[in-house]
Amino acid sequence: MASLVQTANLKAAISQPQRSMSFVAQTAMLAKRTLITNFRDPAAIIPPLLISVFFLLVNSSTLSGAASFFLPGQSYLGFIVPLTIISSSLSGASIAGQSIVRDIERGYFDKLMLTPVSRAAIVLGPMIAGALLLTVQTALILGLALLMGLQPNTGIIGLASTLIFATFIGVSFAGFTVGMALFTGSAAATGGASFIFFPLTFLTATYVPFSLLTGWIKTAAEYNPITYPLEAMRALLNTGWDTDLMLKGLSSCLLMGGVLFTFAIFGLRTRSKRR
Amino acid sequence: MTNLNREIVAENLVKRYGDFTAVDNVSFKVSDGEIYGFLGPNGAGKSTVVTMLTTLGLPTSGHATVGGHDIVLEASQVRRIAGVALQDIGLDPIMKSMELLTIQAQLFGMSKRDSIARAKELLDIVQLSEFTDRRVGKYSGGMRRRLDLAMALVHRPEILFLDEPTTGLDPASRRDIWAEVRRLNREYNMTIFLTTQYLEEADELADRIAIMNKGKIAVEGQPAALKAAMGRESVNITLRDNEAAEKAATLLGEMFDKVQIDRRTVRLYRQNAAQVVPAVVNRLTESGIETVSLTLTQPTLDDVFLQVTGQSIDEVQAPADKTAVPA
Repeated sequence: MASLVQTANLKAAISQPQRSMSFVAQTAMLAKRTLITNFRDPAAIIPPLLISVFFLLVNSSTLSGAASFFLPGQSYLGFIVPLTIISSSLSGASIAGQSIVRDIERGYFDKLMLTPVSRAAIVLGPMIAGALLLTVQTALILGLALLMGLQPNTGIIGLASTLIFATFIGVSFAGFTVGMALFTGSAAATGGASFIFFPLTFLTATYVPFSLLTGWIKTAAEYNPITYPLEAMRALLNTGWDTDLMLKGLSSCLLMGGVLFTFAIFGLRTRSKRR
Repeated sequence: MTNLNREIVAENLVKRYGDFTAVDNVSFKVSDGEIYGFLGPNGAGKSTVVTMLTTLGLPTSGHATVGGHDIVLEASQVRRIAGVALQDIGLDPIMKSMELLTIQAQLFGMSKRDSIARAKELLDIVQLSEFTDRRVGKYSGGMRRRLDLAMALVHRPEILFLDEPTTGLDPASRRDIWAEVRRLNREYNMTIFLTTQYLEEADELADRIAIMNKGKIAVEGQPAALKAAMGRESVNITLRDNEAAEKAATLLGEMFDKVQIDRRTVRLYRQNAAQVVPAVVNRLTESGIETVSLTLTQPTLDDVFLQVTGQSIDEVQAPADKTAVPA
């Protein structure tokens, strides 16, 4: 083996202060790396996509006939697609957590922790990668829905806004799975943690509009943060622009994102303390 | 020119996991440009010390600086000046070597162009240039170890932590790593903190060594001085079985200052042990104890290790490691 450090001016290089990569660039690089590893190992991303398509086809077929009773003049497809997106986001989010678990198991996570890169970027990179995968997944779902006859009330901008909501939801849920991955370092625990959110998709206006909910389920839906982006996306696809619903949906996403990102950062700190 | 601080200073470092104390009040100082060997049996706390010094883990109490930077309060600065190759090779098997090196270099602040140049340079040096299109998962253990070392050097560190860097390597690769460690230290005055289970490696490379046992530093000093401090030659007798070893130890104990039994081998220590070898042979023969071999040795680091830990280094090495150790 020849010499490992051949640079003639090494001493000068050492004495020069190293530049820092910006936080955004660090996050983008780490997100890109997570995407590369996931696309090279597509077994992790194909099943969630297939499940989403399955949900869309089954839900639209089984309940579309009854929809005329509670959605007069509206498209049931436009009503059910947002629910499919949110269901998909749970599986999409687990990809971010599983990426972290893989890095921990392979020791690569330590390599990242040994760099001066921002700890927040280490957490946020995989979260954003998970969200981007969900965005692609959502685009495919929307494409399929268009082929099935979806006619979004807000046009192409509405579709783009739906994608933005999907990305926000993906980042939020990914924060939870990344946090669990950092707390436990276990693939099984991280995978299982995704299902904690699963009941939330039923404690909301899942199969009927929010206005038709009564009793405890209505109360649960009011406190369920998923209700608001769900309603916002339904408005985009079915009834048109509604500023109040958009703001509520966005605020709910930001709140969930903030809380779950903090949870992920706390997971990272706990992991360092434990070592 | 900037005066670089390449010292490592630990003061009363403690790491506890619940009731278990993995590192117990450890203090030491590694001087600028020194190679410091950190030895100890499995579970002695070596890697935990490295984990804390490299900022991967937080100490329960105590204080340490690396290159003058506090490992807790100035962790980011520590990471900038320290290169680390951990015992468990940390490479993503799905990625390719060039990708891993360029990402690592950029995370240390290099531009994309510089990081590519640096990656090519390092891949050439570690003789992996021909394998840049292959995923790291397809590399052999030796190739992965070399790439891991290149990763540790990508940002031209001032202080290098090598946690059992030659474990699992073939003899030729081990010698290459040794030569490189010496050269990095000699030409760039790089301070090197080396943990190892191979006494030969520590004897070969380290200016000073510390032997850890049960979370504490049991002994510290220059290898030659530690061996000299043993002050006694040893007669090592291997017998047919453990029972014979016990008998021989009882029979010969009075002739020596210290007796240690290591399975079917008896080690007997005293000054001028060579002079009593004939008497030892006579006693064993008269008692009908059959010997397999008898050797006379000068004190070695293994003796120091045995004295400190109560175990021979052969005993503490994992079977997998032993297969990799050159005969």
